[in-house]
Amino acid sequence: MWMVNSRFSSGARRLAFACFALLVAVLFLLPGQIQGLLQYLDGPVGHVVRVPLEAVASIDSGIADRWQQYVALQGVREENQQLRKDIESLRGQNSQLRESAAATERLTALLQFKEQALPAMVAAQVIGRDATNRYRAIILNKGESDGIKPDMGVITPAGVVGRVVKTTGASSVVLLITDPNNAIAGLIQRTRDEGIVEGTQQGLAQLKYIPLLSTLRDGDRVVTSGLVGGFPRGLALGTITHIDKQEGALFQSAELMPEVDVGRVEEVLVIQASYGQSTKAMGGMDLPGKPAP
Amino acid sequence: MKFFFYLTLVLLLVPLQTTVLHHVSVWNIKPDLGLVTAVFIGLFAGEMEGLLLGLAIGWVLSLFSAGELWLSLLTYGGVGLLAGFLGRQVSQVTSISLGVGLLLVSVASGLLALANFKNIDMSQMWGIVESIVLPQACFDGAVGAGLYWLLSQRFDVTRLRTE
Repeated sequence: MWMVNSRFSSGARRLAFACFALLVAVLFLLPGQIQGLLQYLDGPVGHVVRVPLEAVASIDSGIADRWQQYVALQGVREENQQLRKDIESLRGQNSQLRESAAATERLTALLQFKEQALPAMVAAQVIGRDATNRYRAIILNKGESDGIKPDMGVITPAGVVGRVVKTTGASSVVLLITDPNNAIAGLIQRTRDEGIVEGTQQGLAQLKYIPLLSTLRDGDRVVTSGLVGGFPRGLALGTITHIDKQEGALFQSAELMPEVDVGRVEEVLVIQASYGQSTKAMGGMDLPGKPAP
Repeated sequence: MKFFFYLTLVLLLVPLQTTVLHHVSVWNIKPDLGLVTAVFIGLFAGEMEGLLLGLAIGWVLSLFSAGELWLSLLTYGGVGLLAGFLGRQVSQVTSISLGVGLLLVSVASGLLALANFKNIDMSQMWGIVESIVLPQACFDGAVGAGLYWLLSQRFDVTRLRTE
């Protein structure tokens, strides 16, 4: 089975191994320089790769749309009836919320609070998923040329999606809230206790480092605390589904059901500047409409 | 000509890997076509081309992944080089031996990537090995073996390797 192939020159083989050894040495000895050099080339390469990527993504979404419109219509009647019931119930809630909003507006004016500016955001489309299976990440069709930078927060109207970790000229990679490598500062809305939200291996999230004396319970909502950059305070992260309080432990932790179904997200908003910075950085950026009360 | 073939291959790998493959994923695991391609190029074109194409694949795929660049370069480049080296030493490569080789290489690259993860404990690490690294290695091995079998049905692969 084993043989020595003399046809292939041993010089070329040695050269290949020498190149690899050199690469390993350079990567370990000069990681910053190599990273910088390749990042310089990332922009043009990103623009070139974007062409086939967007073409395939648009064909893919076209097929998915056709499938959803014509083929996957089973059970739509039942879903429709359920949605009508939901609308009725939401109309009632909406009316109550309008009342609360009006009251809040009156009280805000009364206290002469300065109205908070909405953060500057840019809308982007999801054109792919992480190239490997090891990270839960999505790829957006906007990058550095649209003002997106690493560490910016990514949301949908429902809540937090994740954080930008890498950008090229024309695309960016967002590490999802459900990835174990992601950490976002969170706050339990009812008790005001803070913790760190991390992804879990099961594709959910967990709130860690909750004070032992916290009176949290299942169903409590967790929002961003706004302490660490990327996200303003109050964006929905998830709902507590299970509390883990171990004897002798310094902190409690809780499992969260993320507010956004990150597996199905198609369009997102990238937060380019937080509340405080938005008024300075708003020039030339898309701003979402102010939600109606 | 060869250059344009490799360029097209690398450019097509990105949309295939990031957009199309998640439709055929099994338990949310998709095969790593970059790894399979690097192995095939190394096997049929030798160490140098395996190394260079592996590096190109690693770099371009790392632009569309949350993973580290150096890890991607080392993994894909190393796999291309190794495949080229082993391809020149082994006279009879069968689809089974290629599949097993790819499985082992995929496990090794998965474990290397896992070692680079931060903030995870041993139980989580073992969970990731069970739920991601091993299934993906099986998937990669199966895809590689299947592709090699298809090629061997259509072409004389031994001749292709020695030409």
